[in-house]
Amino acid sequence: MGRTLPTLSQQFIEAEASFSRFRRALRRSDQVALDDLFVSAHQHLAAASYAAHILPFEVFLLAMLLEEHKEVLLLRRQVDELRHA
Amino acid sequence: MPEELTGWLLDIYAGGSGLILWFLESGGQRRRLEQVFPLSFYIAGATPELRAAWRWLASQPERLRLARAVRQDLFTGPVTVLAVEVGRPLDLPPLFRRLAQAFPALTYYDADIPLSLRYAAATGVFPLAHAWLKVEDGRVAAITPLSSPWDLDPEYPPVRILRLEPDCDPAHAEPQGMFLSYNGCRYRQPLAPARALLVNLRAVLESHDPDLVLTAWGDTWLLPRLIEASTSSGLPLPLNRDPAGEIRRKHQRSYQAYGQIIYRGAQVLLAGRWHVDVCNAVMYHDYGLEGVLELARITSLPVQTAARVSPGTGISSMQILTALRREVLVPYHKQQAEEHKSVLDLLASDMGGMVYQPTTGVHADVAEVDFVSMYPSIMAHFNISPETVIPGRRDALTGLPATRAERGLVPETLEPLLQKRIALKTALLTLPKWDPRRKRYRDWAAAYKWLLVTCFGYLGYKNARFGRIEAHEAVTAYGREALLRAKEAAEDLGCEVLHLYVDGMWVKKPGWCTAADFQPLLEGILARTGLPIALDGVFRWVAFLPSRLDARVPVPNRYFGVFQDGEIKVRGIELRRRDTPAFVAAVQQELLDLLARAASAADLPGQWKSAQDLLRRRLADLRQGRVPPRELIVRLTLSRELDLYRAPSPAAIAARQLQAQGKNLRPGQAVRFVHTLGKPGVRAWDLPGEVDPRTLNWREYRKLLLRAAGTVLEPFKVELLPQEGIPMLLPVPQRAPAVLQEG
Repeated sequence: MGRTLPTLSQQFIEAEASFSRFRRALRRSDQVALDDLFVSAHQHLAAASYAAHILPFEVFLLAMLLEEHKEVLLLRRQVDELRHA
Repeated sequence: MPEELTGWLLDIYAGGSGLILWFLESGGQRRRLEQVFPLSFYIAGATPELRAAWRWLASQPERLRLARAVRQDLFTGPVTVLAVEVGRPLDLPPLFRRLAQAFPALTYYDADIPLSLRYAAATGVFPLAHAWLKVEDGRVAAITPLSSPWDLDPEYPPVRILRLEPDCDPAHAEPQGMFLSYNGCRYRQPLAPARALLVNLRAVLESHDPDLVLTAWGDTWLLPRLIEASTSSGLPLPLNRDPAGEIRRKHQRSYQAYGQIIYRGAQVLLAGRWHVDVCNAVMYHDYGLEGVLELARITSLPVQTAARVSPGTGISSMQILTALRREVLVPYHKQQAEEHKSVLDLLASDMGGMVYQPTTGVHADVAEVDFVSMYPSIMAHFNISPETVIPGRRDALTGLPATRAERGLVPETLEPLLQKRIALKTALLTLPKWDPRRKRYRDWAAAYKWLLVTCFGYLGYKNARFGRIEAHEAVTAYGREALLRAKEAAEDLGCEVLHLYVDGMWVKKPGWCTAADFQPLLEGILARTGLPIALDGVFRWVAFLPSRLDARVPVPNRYFGVFQDGEIKVRGIELRRRDTPAFVAAVQQELLDLLARAASAADLPGQWKSAQDLLRRRLADLRQGRVPPRELIVRLTLSRELDLYRAPSPAAIAARQLQAQGKNLRPGQAVRFVHTLGKPGVRAWDLPGEVDPRTLNWREYRKLLLRAAGTVLEPFKVELLPQEGIPMLLPVPQRAPAVLQEG
């Protein structure tokens, strides 16, 4: 409604769609992993929108990286706990 | 012989040699008075064209006074204009139509302002205002208001009401009779023969002389039918109180607003008394007659108009009133185009409110903190108005859009509205439960809420007279800043932020579980933003739901929870949706009520057994035909003309069935149907005859019911019906949605 630029959610959907050929050529198990990456970027749409970055896909990549790093931190902590248990 | 009186202004319209004013005198008398009231409008443009317009105007038959004047334009400051004073208000609309056709390139101001607004600006007397008058020969010689629209307890005129209601919905079946109620009596009058009906109705109108004719389907069916009967039989029907006044009719239309197709029925407006159709009044279901009367008082629109206009028209009327009082020109068409922007500017400014993806799952002891009327408060607090926002300039310190110091037109309009709403809310908190003012205040607060909500939209709306996209963008920029500051305040206090949604924030902190615990947070936010903030409540538990399509993806506005006092709050789930059958919504509510009985999140598992039993009982009711068909109606709004539907959706099939019966539905109108066995699978509810309960497709309803039950039970990972082995309809998340939840 009354917007000049597409919203970031729209851009996100377009970005995901633009990789559909890439995704199709992946193994089924890799497709699931790729979908996970997009889901993790989706969680940061509000921040990505606020960033108003000129290349939104860079922000999406960073958001994917962020979620991956959170996962690493969590796993590292669990490893530590197991080691000390 | 001059005479002095006090009374309430009931109606105002152009007529005779000036205005016709209807007053309800303090003694109970209804008085029709006239008043001389010349109207002015203004024209600006290139000098040669202005001269030509002057010559053209001078040659017209109407009594006019032409002059050169300097007036204030809101955006550009003083402008030289041609001032046209029209002696008789009745002459203005036709004269202006001819003028605008002859000189389309000129800029017109104050040309199409509702009379009641001009009157309120000139005299301070608004619809339903209590006023003192001096009357000479049936003409108002002087008038002073004795009340203000912002009074909390205004003295109301004792209006007489006549209710007219057909004995069934005319869209469903042909009504055979009409219920009349007045003076505490109610009876049914057959519609045929027309003669008896008209004679009786006429007697009621003359003896009871109502101020308000309150109807059901009066705009779209009843009054047009009565008027037609009166014309064809030659029996006069004094629907108007003013014998010289006309009955004004407006046609039906469909339009799009906020992404929805909206249908507005035809209108029938009376002179000297009001006609309000409860089925065609825009927000009637929300704020009732009290809300309509209050809207008339604060917007200065006549009661019949106030009942039928959208809140957007209400708020723009209030802005026009402020402009008239300030002697600022009111443009006929909006002129402010958007300023040029670079792509980078657009990137930075073309954004809406901040909407997070919530952390899905069930959370205990969560506080919901809301900014009070956030966008209007921002406009008032930071002086954001179309003329105060400086395009392209940002505050060096905060990076937020810069504004001028002079008080803006929009903030000035909003201020009393915001204050009165806060006063109402405060009064509601302190008034005892039995106080009769409570209902009235609640209805008013609802009406105000809509005005305030639309005010923001109108800042950027392309047809708003005082709109400018830059002001609209400035408001969202301040809104995002305020919400981020609130988030920072919460995180500095050690809270976890679960969700942010435009003007609300959901937070939790271990050990904090009462309203008092969260008080420091409220103070912190107030200190950082300067905006009023309130604790909506502390949830015993709240569940943020994932998307239906992908259980890993959260959606912003789908959640339900129970406050500490047991109150349930739900958003975006089936029972809030208008297309959900009453039966399904009721069962979902019953399930929530069960969950609300648990004293805390930890006690919830005690409820699973009863929830499953309840669900089983309701499924048995459904299967054994114990659910009345009426409770299984699905209601959908048509989004387009019938022949534009490509795939035959259930709504389109039902609408076609009605069309075959000669009942045409327009886009924006709702169609009601039930799911049936076999082809075509649906039956329009409004077809003649009863629905045979044996034809209902109970499997379809079971699917709907299980889905609704799943929505409220899934987040707790409860299996719906373990023994029966009914397949789950919603996928259970394979993986925890976010790492945060475990962390």
